[in-house]
Amino acid sequence: MYTLLSGLWKYLFQKEQYFVLILGLDNAGKTTYLEQTKTKFNKNYKGMNISKITSTVGLNIGKIDIGNMRLNFWDLGGQEELQSLWDKYYAESHAVIYIVDTSDKERLDESKIAFDRMLKNDSLNGVPLLLVGNKQDLDGCITIGTMKELFTPVKDLLGSRDSHILGASALKGDGVMEGIEWIVEGIKRNSMDRPPTQKDIT
Amino acid sequence: MGGLLSYFSGLFGSKERRILILGLDGAGKTTILYRLQVGEVVTTIPTIGFNVETVTYKNLKFQVWDLGGQTSIRPYWRCYYSNTDAIIYVVDSMDRDRIGISKQELVSMLEEDELKKAVLVVFANKQDIEGAMTVSEVANALGLSALKNRKYQIFKTSAIKGLGLDEAMEWLSDTVQQQK
Repeated sequence: MYTLLSGLWKYLFQKEQYFVLILGLDNAGKTTYLEQTKTKFNKNYKGMNISKITSTVGLNIGKIDIGNMRLNFWDLGGQEELQSLWDKYYAESHAVIYIVDTSDKERLDESKIAFDRMLKNDSLNGVPLLLVGNKQDLDGCITIGTMKELFTPVKDLLGSRDSHILGASALKGDGVMEGIEWIVEGIKRNSMDRPPTQKDIT
Repeated sequence: MGGLLSYFSGLFGSKERRILILGLDGAGKTTILYRLQVGEVVTTIPTIGFNVETVTYKNLKFQVWDLGGQTSIRPYWRCYYSNTDAIIYVVDSMDRDRIGISKQELVSMLEEDELKKAVLVVFANKQDIEGAMTVSEVANALGLSALKNRKYQIFKTSAIKGLGLDEAMEWLSDTVQQQK
């Protein structure tokens, strides 16, 4: 009886809490992606003026509720010297969204290097990974196919983790829904290895 | 009732946002306050007590409190915490010896319930001096990566030269405005 009641209580008033990291080089569109996510999944959220987003030197946060899940996002600054802060968040993350600016061909290699460095970190073993080819609305951007080729050599680093590549235009909001939906599924599949923390709804 | 009142006051004109400038003594808090208000470098003496000024930035009115940072008066910071919209935490980027103390003060301050919703802006000040700590050094030394539920941003500033303050205020006004 007790389990039944406490189960009901949990069902009604507790959410499974997960943490999602948004990473990538500076100016890849991480904060814009986060703002779009918040706007699309929170009915009452009046978004920040997207044109006002400046470079992040620190942390932006966001949370969305999907069914019984609460996703908390950490959007970290991507400048080279700030990348040293990324790994402090790995152990507590349930998923990673890595964003690449597909219109900035000159920095693809740099992005790949940061990406590989992230994958090599053991604290992220098995964590679902969504690779987002952002800025697909711009002329001259590389296609998702090309990006796939560029980023596949890391297959050995991927290990057993779930991964997926998607194109997006965070500015226009295209591809954001699909991305988050994939993340939700990925987190669920991996929840035996990385269980959520329970949290009372406040 | 209070909620209703603040709703209506939100409809008519701009409400003043409350900002605290905190940090150890000698970090440059008072210089920053007057740089923001009059745009000039004023000669300051160590603050015992507080300075408070109204600063207008892009149609937003800020009530900015600069509290003295000496060890003996730091316990009084908490008296000013309620209704704070944002905290500007000033660090002397040359003072490597005391950055640990600065971290402790920051950590205990952020544990306060009254500041749960306040936005945090860190000013890595005195960047005009050669050998100043970089942004990532300051972030690591302050243990900012332990903050998981709070939006924060670090700016490199030099209050003497006026560097970084505009960007910081711009970010702050956008963020505070969105928060409400």
